[in-house]
Amino acid sequence: MCRDMPPLEQAIQFHGHICPGILMGVRAAEFALKHLEVDPDIDEQLIAVVETDSCGVDAIQVILGCTFGKGNLIHKDYGKAVYTIGSREKNRAVRIAQKFGATASPNRDRFRELKMKKNLNEEEKAEMEGLLGDIFEQIMSMPFEDLFKWEDVPFDFPARARIYPTIQCEGCGEGVMEPRAKKTEQGMLCPSCQIEFGGVANV
Amino acid sequence: MCEANIFFNRGGKEELFMEKVDRIVPGEEDNLFLESIFGERRVVKARIREMELVRHRIVLEEINEETSSKENEIWLELDTDHGHFHEGEEVRLKLFKGYNMRPDKDSDLSNVKAFLLENGERKEIAIIEHHGEMELVLGQEFTGLIPVFVQENNEKELCGKMLVEVGHHHHHEVAPIGLPLEIVPCGFGHARLGESYEIQVLRQGKALGGIEVKATYSGSKNKNYPYKLTTNEEGKASLFLTARGNYLFSVSDDNITSTFTLVKSF
Repeated sequence: MCRDMPPLEQAIQFHGHICPGILMGVRAAEFALKHLEVDPDIDEQLIAVVETDSCGVDAIQVILGCTFGKGNLIHKDYGKAVYTIGSREKNRAVRIAQKFGATASPNRDRFRELKMKKNLNEEEKAEMEGLLGDIFEQIMSMPFEDLFKWEDVPFDFPARARIYPTIQCEGCGEGVMEPRAKKTEQGMLCPSCQIEFGGVANV
Repeated sequence: MCEANIFFNRGGKEELFMEKVDRIVPGEEDNLFLESIFGERRVVKARIREMELVRHRIVLEEINEETSSKENEIWLELDTDHGHFHEGEEVRLKLFKGYNMRPDKDSDLSNVKAFLLENGERKEIAIIEHHGEMELVLGQEFTGLIPVFVQENNEKELCGKMLVEVGHHHHHEVAPIGLPLEIVPCGFGHARLGESYEIQVLRQGKALGGIEVKATYSGSKNKNYPYKLTTNEEGKASLFLTARGNYLFSVSDDNITSTFTLVKSF
């Protein structure tokens, strides 16, 4: 693209489709930037601790630049739509939690019902599309405080991600990050070969 | 017990649609809201054909929204998914006739004429067939925001308009081009997903209030227009953009149907 893509479009393109979850993530991520008065992350200035692995996290990654690959996206598998975003430069963090039932409505119930259904007929596909449009407008237009609660929290910033040497596994011959390799009777093995030879993976 | 099973009458046969419904609320545009004692909710476009409450049975009849061949519109689309052309690039547009952005492949486009406005002057553009589709080729020399429109004068007058952006960042007010019935964007910024877009309807150059404007978007699964707006006293109406594709606005008055294709920035 030859123009700067707006964050909403970036998030949808990365996620692949429009859904309520990605839209909620967009709202949370945009709020975090504004509240912390920071720009999207380039090199681990920001850290995101996400308590869910659902759609909204893709918006956190794209809009805030806190990604799995950079090591500044930490997942806690709590099953909660809660995102704590910290800025090293500002030395502050905000915890953003989705309010329970914030977007509850008969439209949302029906959308979820159709989403769970395996084979939709043409009418149901059209109905679902219409419901998504209504939900989209609702989520993007609602006051932020009706969707989320937030508070500034103390944050123990982890060390920046380290880069370790890669060594060759003596089982499969593939490269493995040194701290994940383990010395065994078969030599230095990667986690998958450790399991292959009946051991416990060093992860 | 006061609940009833809902059946659809399709081709003379009754098909069970929903069980133990205890609430039916008529809505706008022929919609019926149905709710069962289990909490299941459905919205259908239908009318009640028969109620037999002793047997807990209600029969509905679908309201067919299939496109009527008389509801024809003509509209333009860009021959690029990039949203705009770059300077020096050949500008090509596609011409369609149909309804709700669904082209009618058997339609006759031989009486359609195409024009562009350059420095206020109307210039006719040739319509050519290309790979089974009708195209307008504007060439490579244009730059800026070019108003392009198509017209057909048969029993019914059909118009279609589009603003073609060649180059970048053409933000300014857009003047009407003088169609007898015209949809004008209220300011040409970049139309973006998640934002409202306002248009104005003009009849012979004057604001037309209280008229229905239909809106759809490319790739919609709806058989009919998903959005129906009504203009205010200034002839204006707004739509919150929630689809990724381009939008088509359509308005009809007397014997004229006029469309405006909104090309989204992304």
